[in-house]
Amino acid sequence: MLINSIKTGFKKGLETTWMLGKIIIPVYFIITILKHTVIINWIADAFRPIMALFNLSGEAAIVLVLGNVLNLYAAIGAIKAIELSPLEVTVIAMMLSFSHSLLVETAVTKKLGISGFKVVAVRLMLAIASGVILGRLGGLIS
Amino acid sequence: MEVLKEGFFGSIHSVYSIAIIIIPIMIALQVLKDFKILDKITKPFNFLSRIFKTSDEAVLPLLVGIIFGLSYGAGVIIQSAKEGELTKRDLLIITIFLATCHAVFEDTLLFVAVGANGFIIIGTRLVAAFILTCFIAKKTSVVISLNANNK
Repeated sequence: MLINSIKTGFKKGLETTWMLGKIIIPVYFIITILKHTVIINWIADAFRPIMALFNLSGEAAIVLVLGNVLNLYAAIGAIKAIELSPLEVTVIAMMLSFSHSLLVETAVTKKLGISGFKVVAVRLMLAIASGVILGRLGGLIS
Repeated sequence: MEVLKEGFFGSIHSVYSIAIIIIPIMIALQVLKDFKILDKITKPFNFLSRIFKTSDEAVLPLLVGIIFGLSYGAGVIIQSAKEGELTKRDLLIITIFLATCHAVFEDTLLFVAVGANGFIIIGTRLVAAFILTCFIAKKTSVVISLNANNK
């Protein structure tokens, strides 16, 4: 029984790894290529004022957008490709753990009969508030 | 050429660093699930139902969602709701909590794999979900008692 559970768990772990590999590898490639072009500078410049609220660099906007629209795996692929400081990764992780995969997860909460709009609003507000607080606090410490 | 090489090795390394975390987690979660360990230990967590003013039946789906994630939690919730164990209010409270805080081990460790501080993330998430749910619980219980008075 225990052996079977471990086997099933291992298989699920491999399946998850495969699934996230299919997302992380292309995202990582695209971001790495972008990084060597001027496009990344345009994106960074455009988002610098907003990202400054969270004490993040402009490039971090890509990670937040990918995480909210697609999923955490895509965001992780992008975090790895853009070199970020441990503080920046923690702030992004904090924000993304409150609000991520909004399209898919809102569909799930709707199934439970709760207003999707309200859930998204609450999650985004928590993400923004925690990002501002943690970003500022972290900025003071480091 | 350099760029492609960087993309290739970097992405393989990312997948590897996540695989060595995700596989043990999946094994641990599967063992928890198969041995129905959560079903057996909901009692110590029944205080949650008093704080959130839900029925005791709401505690299991809540714990399942916190540990295993929203989709799996939703499965258990829908099942319990069908069996008539959960009130409309229980559903609201569980959904509010789980929307902000679910799959805490899996999500957090994925970020730890890329260099984030896991304690900050898991702590803030649990505390924020707890406060938010308490707030909603208070608000909805006022509405319910008002309705009761009107009757």
